[in-house]
Amino acid sequence: MSKQFDVIGKRFPRKDAPAKATGQAQFVDDMVFPDMLWGAILQSPHAHARVLNVDTSKAQALPGVKAVITAKDVPGTKYGVSPARYDETVFAIDKVRYVGDEIAAVAAVDLETALEAVSLIEVEYEPLPALLTPQEALAEGAPWIHDEFPGNIGGEVHQEFGDVEKALAQCDIIRTDTFQSKRQDGGAIEPHAAIAVYDLDGRLTLHSATQVPHYVQRTLAMVTGLPISKVRVIKPYVGGGFGPKSEATPLDLCSSFLAMATGRPVKMLYTREQVFLHGRARHGYFHEMTLGVKKDGTLLALKNRCVMDGGAYSSFGIATVYYAGSLLGAPYKLPNMKYDGVRVYTNKPACGAQRGHGGVHARALFEQQLDLIAEELGMDPVELRLKNIMETGDVTCNDLAMSSLGMKECIEAVRDGSSWKNKRGKLPPGKGIGMASGFFVSGAGYPIYRSETYHSTVNLKVQEDGGGVEVLTAAAEIGQGAETMVATITAEALGVNYNDVHVQSGSTDFGVDLGAYSSRTTLMTGHAAKLAAEDAKQQILAELAAELEIDVSRLDIKRGEVIISGEPVDITPIRTMYIKEHRGWNNMPEGDNLTFREASRLAFLRKGSITGSGAYKPPPLGGKFKGAAVGTSPAYGCSAQVVEVTVDMETGQVFVDKVTDAHDCGQAINLTQVEGQMEGSVSMGLGEGLFEQVKFDAEGRVENPSLGDYRIPTIMDIPNIQSLVIESGEPNGPFGAKEVGEGGIMPTIPALLNAVRNAVGVQVSELPLIPENMLLGIQALKKK
Amino acid sequence: MSKHQITLMVNGLERELLVEPNRTLTQVLREDLRLTGTKHGCGIGDCGCCTVLMDGQAVNSCLLLAFEAVGHEITTIEGLADGNRLHPLQDSFIELGAIQCGFCSPGMILSSKALLANNPSPTEEEIRMGLSGNLCRCTGYQKIVEAVHDAAQKMKGASS
Amino acid sequence: MLLPRFEYYQPSDLGEACQVLAELGDSAAILAGGTDLLVNLKTRKASPEHLVALSGLDQLKEINNGGGSLRLGSGVTAGILADGPDTLSSLTALIQGAASLGSPQIRNRATVGGNLCSARSAADLIPPLLVLGAKLVLASSKGEREVDLNDFLLSGARTILAPGELLTAIKLKAPAAGSGSAFIKLGQRRAMEIARVNAATSIALAGDGKTIQSARVALGAVAPRAILSQKAAQLLKGQTASEELFAQAGQAAVEDASPRTCHEFKCEVVSVLTRRCLMQSWQQARGQAS
Repeated sequence: MSKQFDVIGKRFPRKDAPAKATGQAQFVDDMVFPDMLWGAILQSPHAHARVLNVDTSKAQALPGVKAVITAKDVPGTKYGVSPARYDETVFAIDKVRYVGDEIAAVAAVDLETALEAVSLIEVEYEPLPALLTPQEALAEGAPWIHDEFPGNIGGEVHQEFGDVEKALAQCDIIRTDTFQSKRQDGGAIEPHAAIAVYDLDGRLTLHSATQVPHYVQRTLAMVTGLPISKVRVIKPYVGGGFGPKSEATPLDLCSSFLAMATGRPVKMLYTREQVFLHGRARHGYFHEMTLGVKKDGTLLALKNRCVMDGGAYSSFGIATVYYAGSLLGAPYKLPNMKYDGVRVYTNKPACGAQRGHGGVHARALFEQQLDLIAEELGMDPVELRLKNIMETGDVTCNDLAMSSLGMKECIEAVRDGSSWKNKRGKLPPGKGIGMASGFFVSGAGYPIYRSETYHSTVNLKVQEDGGGVEVLTAAAEIGQGAETMVATITAEALGVNYNDVHVQSGSTDFGVDLGAYSSRTTLMTGHAAKLAAEDAKQQILAELAAELEIDVSRLDIKRGEVIISGEPVDITPIRTMYIKEHRGWNNMPEGDNLTFREASRLAFLRKGSITGSGAYKPPPLGGKFKGAAVGTSPAYGCSAQVVEVTVDMETGQVFVDKVTDAHDCGQAINLTQVEGQMEGSVSMGLGEGLFEQVKFDAEGRVENPSLGDYRIPTIMDIPNIQSLVIESGEPNGPFGAKEVGEGGIMPTIPALLNAVRNAVGVQVSELPLIPENMLLGIQALKKK
Repeated sequence: MSKHQITLMVNGLERELLVEPNRTLTQVLREDLRLTGTKHGCGIGDCGCCTVLMDGQAVNSCLLLAFEAVGHEITTIEGLADGNRLHPLQDSFIELGAIQCGFCSPGMILSSKALLANNPSPTEEEIRMGLSGNLCRCTGYQKIVEAVHDAAQKMKGASS
Repeated sequence: MLLPRFEYYQPSDLGEACQVLAELGDSAAILAGGTDLLVNLKTRKASPEHLVALSGLDQLKEINNGGGSLRLGSGVTAGILADGPDTLSSLTALIQGAASLGSPQIRNRATVGGNLCSARSAADLIPPLLVLGAKLVLASSKGEREVDLNDFLLSGARTILAPGELLTAIKLKAPAAGSGSAFIKLGQRRAMEIARVNAATSIALAGDGKTIQSARVALGAVAPRAILSQKAAQLLKGQTASEELFAQAGQAAVEDASPRTCHEFKCEVVSVLTRRCLMQSWQQARGQAS
């Protein structure tokens, strides 16, 4: 499929790789501004407490301190992620709800002074009972963490599609299993950072390590009260996001208010410890699922109950609690599905969106159940999947339409690529092979706030001379390759060479882009880029046609040259004029065809600067039921993985020997980048499965707020990953493309757990699978 | 706490600085010398993105007082390329997709350089051991291993 | 993360170092590789007013061998040990312990002296040096003294190092023919781990190549300090080597671990690691038997 493209589907190097390889790429902490101040935040040491009094006088008196702000100095406007759940204020007004909750902020001439000033702020607290688990928070008589949310229920979902009880009655095999995962972290290597600049025009510019400049801009405008025309957010290079950088942070807000208070730029960073205190990462999930099938393996019904530990604020949680149910609607035909989910407030850092958003651990249990059922039926797990998979054109019971779905191709690719048939059932004790599948949205069907807004706009300008193209997009390049994708699609759609396209991104000045979340950028921003490029191309060809006095349908641009079909046309007048304009220059265009350089120059001379504009929003999607929006998308990526493990049965250590991964991304825009996203997803899934867990002590403090104690995989822990790219050609995607960045994590944990069960016979119901827990499981099985 | 005048040898240049004893090498490189390619990810040696070479060996600059770097040759990522000519490791990292967000890349590339200087033909296991002090969350390490292997081939070819 | 404020001294010889340390007493911390100290400073677990750097004392980096004994300067890094230079090639447990420590970057700075003086129960160089019978040379302005490593360590990450005293060298006897040692560490990840349990063993075989003349088993992270398991050593002495014997020694080692520190999982693993470590030591000992 890639053969018909000139730029798409190749392995061009990333646009930003040279800057990153040489240390020239600027991240927020690399930036300094004249007269810059350093900010620091006072955070609550209590998990739950009333704030009786805040005395900042000693802090204010410290030499070098330029501003100290608390709740009384900033609007009490509530904000958050979803307007239906705005439950945060910049600073605690009457109480603090987790260890880390923000009470005050300081700007000073250097970081040391700012930190000292923070230590001089005196706060009177009245500690309240801290609710550290969903059980504690849901218990009778538990205090309410938020007055507006009785019983600490932040979100509750009850959905039924079809008739589950009736369907279960027809099932030959029904099994019920539970699964408990723990709160986890994104583990981005760059901690959050922000620099706010408030200039003499009254304009606020926030430089932030964010995935979502657009949403941050809106939050800032809403909370500061500044007109949105005076608020802009610029995202420089970002060192990874994975979800926890998808909302306005206390750094974004405090630095802005401090910049406004002092009239000077204010830089604020999180230490690694503070990254953990901030959270906004993977919820902890408890799932109980009942799955019913017929004896020939046909899936009939699923009951899914979920209790989520949400932390002290909503963040993305209202969407997450829906996703934990809706993301099981595919990729198998499942006509009856019931979901009851609840997200519980607890006195810990808020949980938010993290790669795979709500679907990861639901998938982990579901795919394990499929394996267990396959075993009971005496069926190969691969065969059970193949028997039930949906096809392109199918619609799930919860109204998610699979406009393309290369699920079969993915499963067969990993089955063959891993030599599954030679290994499954033939490995010695302690060695195992397991598989799983998954799918994910290519961008949420609706923006987070109710609006008819376009999801992405892209504007480009063709250089008046030289044939280069400047593309402006507010899209967020966070390492996933957004700029490279935009350049590639623009080049393909316009017909120019990759090297002639330059992308500027990440600033709200450039347009609207909802940001890098829900795996949307390739499909949505890519669409807008394609439209912008086609717009510019049409304008240039129209001018060329008029100049040459031929019909525009005879003209095309390919690989930087103008292709004219039909009878030969004399291009010398245009070339002669171009050369005359560049008398004395070397490097003049030659060859039989007009170059894009000449054509675009001509268009400028006739019309003025050529700008192309594109805007994309999905059509209305999904069903009419409550929460139908969550899970909708113009397209769905899907994948399958095979994981091979060796379990040391005496120590409980699990070593992953190999991963075979196949992902249907519709059409790879850049093969290397698609593989890179696949491999990164696998690595993160293995980390979450084997090592990762944010731990709390009895006072609600994070016990392991470091990358030594919160263990993301090292290079020694990840095996070779074989990445197989499947291209089903998505009709709703630009050039057939759809997502890869988040869907790639879906099969990993269940494939790992299924491999472990194959190796040692233990069904793993709790993550992470640290050696201790593995050994306990092995011994428990021995005793039976 | 008094400032001392020290001379650091960084990327082949002598740099004179006035520095307090409690400044780490990471801070001095990034703030005083404005060499921001060396990153700050954790400050306590857990992530490796502050890695620099000291006399050719990889060290965490966040755990090194600037004072302790006196008398040694420090190489940062900015010192790797020769003007516009990138080091083979940089070329391979770029070409083979071993860079995504780029935050771990300077440290990763420098650790790779130290590895290859010591062991010009590493096995895959040796590559992984050599880079075991550099965390990456984006790539899954697959293309990093391939890039180091590729660069090793290029460097051996060039020197033969 | 910012370091707290301190004054910095870099003595240029041992005499000066001991003098400065004596003068400053408790208000000074010794800066060797810094990979432990700087973390403690940044996390505010320690805030000494003075740092006394050993970077000016080149003699601490020397490795000398001769007459059947080895002298390691306390400033020798784990990286040098991990490389297994010729002079140390028979000290397998020490090489393996050093290679497992931290990360390559940490190993290039962390010193053997620093690891010993941290006295952490999970320290990776302590069990190997215990089974290799290390003696430590402690220097002060009053002179020098030698102590067994086993007597040097106290519980709770403390040592018998007196104020004004500096660990300058580690003395080891070159292992005799027909002996072997090994070290195994158990963590979660395969790199950058602090041991959940680690074990080192050494075996010296008698002339017949089968009878264990003597053996040592050392365990880390299962008691308030790293320990030598006397029960395991006694069980092994004079017996015919076999995997079954080593399994019994593993069980005996568990008994020497502290119940408070060593809950069920750790105890399981102690016994497994001890057995495996003894097997490796035995293999090496047989390989070298004349």
